[in-house]
Parts: sequence; structure tokens; C-alpha cells
Amino acid sequence: MAVKTFRGGAHPPERKDRSSSLAVERLREVKQVVVPVNQHFGAPLQALVKVGDLVKRGQKIADADGRMTVPVHSPIAGIVKKIEPRTQSNNSDGPCVIIEALPPPAEGQAAPEPEDLIDFLPPLDAFACTKEEALARVRAAGIVGMGGAGFPTHVKLAPSKPISVVIANGAECEPYLTIDERTMTERPEDVVEGVAITMKIVSAPEGVIAVEENKAHALPLLEKAIASSPRTRSGMKIRVQLLKTKYPQGGEKMLITAITGKEVPSGGLPMDVGCVVQNIGTLCAMVDAFKEGKPLIERGLTITGGACKKPVNVIAPIGTPVADILAAGLAQVDDEALGMVIYGGPMMGVAVPSYQIPVQKNTSGVLLLNVEESKHYDEETCIRCGRCMRACSCRLSPALLAVALESGDYVEAEKIGLLDCIECGTCSFVCPAHRHLVQRFRVGKQVLRAMKQKEAQNAR
Amino acid sequence: MPAKGILLSSSPHSFTPVTTSRMMLSVIIALIPAVGYGVYLYGFSALALILVSIVSAVAAEYVFRKVIKASTTIGDFSAIITGLLLALVLPPKTPLWMVALGAIFAIVVAKEFFGGLGANPFNPALIGRAFLLMSFPAAITTWSMPNGLALAADVTSTATPLALVKQGAALSDVATYFGASGVGGLFRQLFMGYRSGSLGESSILLIALGGLFLIGLGVIQWIVPVSVIGSAFVFSWILGMNPLFTILTGGIVFGAFFMATDYSTRPLTPVGQLAFGVGIGLITVIIRKFGGFPEGVTYAILIMNIATPYLNKIRVKKYGYVPPVKPAKPSKEASK
Repeated sequence: MAVKTFRGGAHPPERKDRSSSLAVERLREVKQVVVPVNQHFGAPLQALVKVGDLVKRGQKIADADGRMTVPVHSPIAGIVKKIEPRTQSNNSDGPCVIIEALPPPAEGQAAPEPEDLIDFLPPLDAFACTKEEALARVRAAGIVGMGGAGFPTHVKLAPSKPISVVIANGAECEPYLTIDERTMTERPEDVVEGVAITMKIVSAPEGVIAVEENKAHALPLLEKAIASSPRTRSGMKIRVQLLKTKYPQGGEKMLITAITGKEVPSGGLPMDVGCVVQNIGTLCAMVDAFKEGKPLIERGLTITGGACKKPVNVIAPIGTPVADILAAGLAQVDDEALGMVIYGGPMMGVAVPSYQIPVQKNTSGVLLLNVEESKHYDEETCIRCGRCMRACSCRLSPALLAVALESGDYVEAEKIGLLDCIECGTCSFVCPAHRHLVQRFRVGKQVLRAMKQKEAQNAR
Repeated sequence: MPAKGILLSSSPHSFTPVTTSRMMLSVIIALIPAVGYGVYLYGFSALALILVSIVSAVAAEYVFRKVIKASTTIGDFSAIITGLLLALVLPPKTPLWMVALGAIFAIVVAKEFFGGLGANPFNPALIGRAFLLMSFPAAITTWSMPNGLALAADVTSTATPLALVKQGAALSDVATYFGASGVGGLFRQLFMGYRSGSLGESSILLIALGGLFLIGLGVIQWIVPVSVIGSAFVFSWILGMNPLFTILTGGIVFGAFFMATDYSTRPLTPVGQLAFGVGIGLITVIIRKFGGFPEGVTYAILIMNIATPYLNKIRVKKYGYVPPVKPAKPSKEASK
């Protein structure tokens, strides 16, 4: 098979070997969950429960009207204890519903029937229902992109343009993280089924499961699952595509370019080139939502890093403080060695002050880095070596962009392509002077967007 | 749960092991063969020339930054490179005080006045050479034949191959002058390095090896050297000069690999680099053919340095580039 890729990129140390061979475990006993009300990219939600309410597992606890909203469900059966702002994995405070698990029934009391504690949706056959029913189910199950951004999946699956290919993003190009790799090896049938459901919803003729070369061992498993899937037997076209191991291969745009050779137009969406890209975890969540009617109330994540004495790939209820996963003994941390806590991968993840922060729908991993791994460097002057220019996967001339931003020239910055930056951080990674390039672009993008908004208002 | 000592920062949290000083160090390593051969050819005087130049450059940077109360930057090794490069483009018997003066001028005026590393518009080493050439034209154009490690004081001044051609000599005369058998023998000799000239233009072989080493490491890219040498070859051929002689003599190869690739003074964009390199080759050939000097690489590079900010505007099309929709031209009535 021809191994495909994109132009540019870099090779940060992978460090996946510590957790790549560990089978996914499950956190069973949870005493308390802290469920953020807003876990998606879009309009904010309203909590639907009040303090003291008894909530069932899978019960909707937050929702709002509007297209860019996705409901949130209770991951456990319990009592709502508090609704208050807590620090979320994006390192800012947001409203959270704190639910305490029901205590075990007292002596002599009958245990409540399991049915009374579970509130799932009825199963739905994705291949027999209408497109509208399917989209309604995806939203009702609270599914968002689980790879990082948390984009509402029901919006992604209702494109206004014809889709020719559905891509399952198994690149997992962030170093350290291995949960997608484990999911592909342990649940290949569900990955294939998820691709098939997505293809059905967007009426795409082709499905591609894209895997980086360092996960080539998942290839035969996926191919076997494809061959034995009832969907491919009934004529659906699904295949696996190997990609070069390179960061940011799993970026939506880079993935599309590697597989189709097309580039997503500036300011456009994958649908503009006939593509829909889905994260591996999202695909499995969709399968659960149709087959079992189970909303997105738990997810797999990798807990690893140099200060993590015992790494783990674990499925935990949404809202579980990572500290509780450690307390349950599934993973171990060396607090003495701990230098950084990162929610997400080392390239795009968010550094947070504590591992008390709960798991969210888009938390693909938690890194407990030791002091050595957390080493940061002072910013030196740009020597104009051009390494960032060659590494930028969007060909944005980061060195020149930084000069434009530092001189406050937003017109030039926009011309160079500030708004096209995907913030992958490759430029900052390769910089020998440790310039804060992507950091400047992130701020610059916000400033430029605000400026444009103001302009539009003034023009009105 | 540790509350203290947890580092917060904006992503990415992973960094390349490549640092500025490591890249600069690799340039120094790449120059070692040429330096070693230069010392072999011209003896201890060459070694003194190199050392004086480097020490003056580093000291100038250290003192200047102390005086203006800026952070010390000699640890990035860039001043060493400037000093080394200057030494390699001067005649081997240049008086040492001139060398020191040139190095100080290069660092203080051409580099630090503009803000130091990465901010200088002109190649500091070449500014140093141009400054010396203007100030002491006789000394900087007095060449000598290699006299080996001998400490012989009597140095016979001689002409460079380019100067001979400028005076109207045919290539066969040049071959005779340098004791080579025929034009083919002359080319072989120029390639291997036994001839009069600056230290850095002696052995094309060793200089090219150093350059290829840097390209292999990814410290410099091929576009600039290839376009400089390629365009010098092509344009000299068009102007009726011997193209092989053009690239084997003077500082074309050294300039292409070590001067024109200077980070701060060459364009960053690939197409800009191509235009930059072609411009250097063209201007060099024009100076050699029509100019008053036999050699023109220094001025060719400095002239193209001026164009660098403009050449940086020739960017690669960004990912997903959509050509802007041109607004319809307003009619004359509307503009009134």
C-alpha cells in the first residue's frame, strides 16, 4: 500500500510505547462526578436539574435550543449535590453539575432495580431510519467530536454539500496518546460500523480508515473487520489507508490532503472538498448511541507521561476527576517528579494546575509529565533559519507572520494567512530559538477576528 | 496533590533538540576542512589571521553588548562564524591589525548596530571585507602563492587567476602561470586547491564538501547554493566566458555555500531564495566581465541583500489558497 502524507510537518518524540500495549481498562466505581455543562464548540447550555434532584445514568442534565448545541447527560445514577463553576480542562472556570453516586442500599432495603437507574434512548437502526431521525439521535446522544475541538457531530453530519468520502481519523499524531490505537485494535468492528453509519447519514460512496504507520499492526484487524462487516457485504466501500507517521498528520486538513490530494479552501470546511472526518472515539460513541441507545457519558483516554509510574488506557465516566482514576489504582503518579499536567497531547493540549480537573467529552488523554519532560526554554531572537517555514503544514511563513504581528501589521498578517493557521504548534516545536510562534498566532487570530467584527459593526 | 512547581504554559509542550548554537556550531564544523587546508597552504600566518579575526569579532560583540547593556550573546557562536568567514575571504597575508579592524567593523557596524543576530540586513563578514577593500585597496588585493608551513618571511606577491584573465590572459597562459599542464590540468588544480587566493577560495572540493554536509544536516537548503552556482555558470557561458573557470575561481562556491546562505540576509521564501541566488550569479558575472574588479562575489551578495525584504514577499501559496475575487471596477460615474 502506498503510504500517503502531506507537505511539511515535524517529528516530535512519540513516546507512545509506554501505553500502546496496555488493553483498555474500565473505571467501575465512581463516587462523584463533576460534569461540565458546556463541553462542545458552540452556544452555551442551561442545566436542566437542580440541587437535590435524583438523576439516572444517561439522563439529560443540560441542553439548549439552537443548532450549535449538544446536550449533556448524567454519567452515573446519583443525587445532584451542587451546581457551581469549577475549573475545566481548558483551564478556565465553567458551570459544572456535581453528582454524587447513590450510596449502596442500606441493610434490609431492596436494591433499586437497574432499570430505574438507567435512562438510555431506545435502540435505533441507523440503516433503517431516515436521515433526520439519525441526526436527531446523534444530537440526542450528546455526541461531539472527541478528538479535541468538541464540534457538534450532528452539525458535521448535515453538510450542505455532497460528500464523496468519510474519513475515520486514526492518525493519532499527538505524541504519548494511544487510546485511538487501542480502540482500533480492540473494537475494529465498531470503528468500521461507525464509518458505515456516517457514510449512510451523509450518503457518501466511500469510507477510508486512516492510520499512521506506527499503528500498522491495527491494519490486519481493521481489514478483517471490513471484510466481515455486513455493511461491506451489502456493497458499502470501506478501506484502510496507511499514512506516514508525522505531526500533524491527524489535523483535519492534512488528513484530507493526504488521502484525497485536495486542499480544503481557505476559510472553508472539509465538506467543500466532499469530506467528512470523524475521530475514532466519536465513531464508537455513535455505534453505542444507535445500538444501545447509550448517550456519550463515558470515554476512553490515555493517562501517561514521565511522572506517571503506571500508565493506563481507561474508559471513565465523563466528569470523573482524573485524581479519582489515580486513586482507584488504575494509574499511578509520582507527585515528587511531576512537572506539568496536560489535558490532551503535548503539541496542542492545555497545561492545567492540577489533575483534579474532570474528564470531558473531548479529553483524549492526560499527561503527567516529569520535570525533564516539562523543560521550557527562554525565547531567543529569531535567526531567520526558516525551519518553521518548511515545517508549517499550512505553508504560512510563520517567521514572516510573527514579524507582521510584532509590528502590529494585521493587514499583512491576514494576507500571509493568519486566519488559516490551525494552531498545530509545529512552528514553535521546530524553532531552534524557541520563539513563541503559535502562541503569538493564537492571540493574533483573536485580535484580528475582534477587529473584523468591529469593522463589520461600524460598516452597518 | 502538589500545588507548587506545576508549570503552566501555552502549547506546544514539546521542543526540538536543535538549538541556535547547535546550528551555528555545525557551520563551524563544516568550515574546518577548508580552514585546515588553508593553514596547510599558508602556514602559521593563516592560523594567526583566523585566530585574530575570530577573537576580534567575539570580543567586539561582547564589549559592544556590555556597553549598550544588552544580554551577552557570544554563546550562540554567531560571532565566531562572522570572524571565521571574514578571515577566509581576506588575502592570507593581510596585516593582522587590518583583520582585527575589519572584524570589529563587521560585528559592531554591520551586525550590532542593526540589533544583532537575525536583524542585520547585510552579511557582516562581507561588509567587513568591503570595508577593508575600500580602506586599504592595495593590501586587500595583494595575493601570494601558498608557501606551506615554512616560516619564510620573503613572500612573493602574485596575481589570482581571475586577475590574470582580467588583464587579458588566455586560460592556457593562466595554466602556465600556475604550473599546470594545459587548461584541463588548471581546472583540476583549481578544484583541488593549489593556487593564489584567499583561504576560503582555495579548495573547491573541501568547500563543497562542507556545504553538502550542511545541506545534509538540514542547516542550509540547496536552493541558494545551486541557484548561485548554476546562474553564474549559465550567465558566464552566455557572455562568452569559460563557465567552468567562472565557478572554479574566486569566491563563487564559497559565497554560494557559506555567504549567500546566511540566515538573516537571504530571503526566507523558496522562490525568493531562487531569485536571490540567480541575482548573485548574474551580478558576479557582470562585475567580472565588465567591472573594474576581477572578482565580484562580495558586491553581488551585498547588492542582493538589499533585495531580500522584497524577495520575502514572493511567498509560497498558502494551504487552501483561494484567489481573491476582484471587486468590479467602479464606473467613472460612480466614482464622481
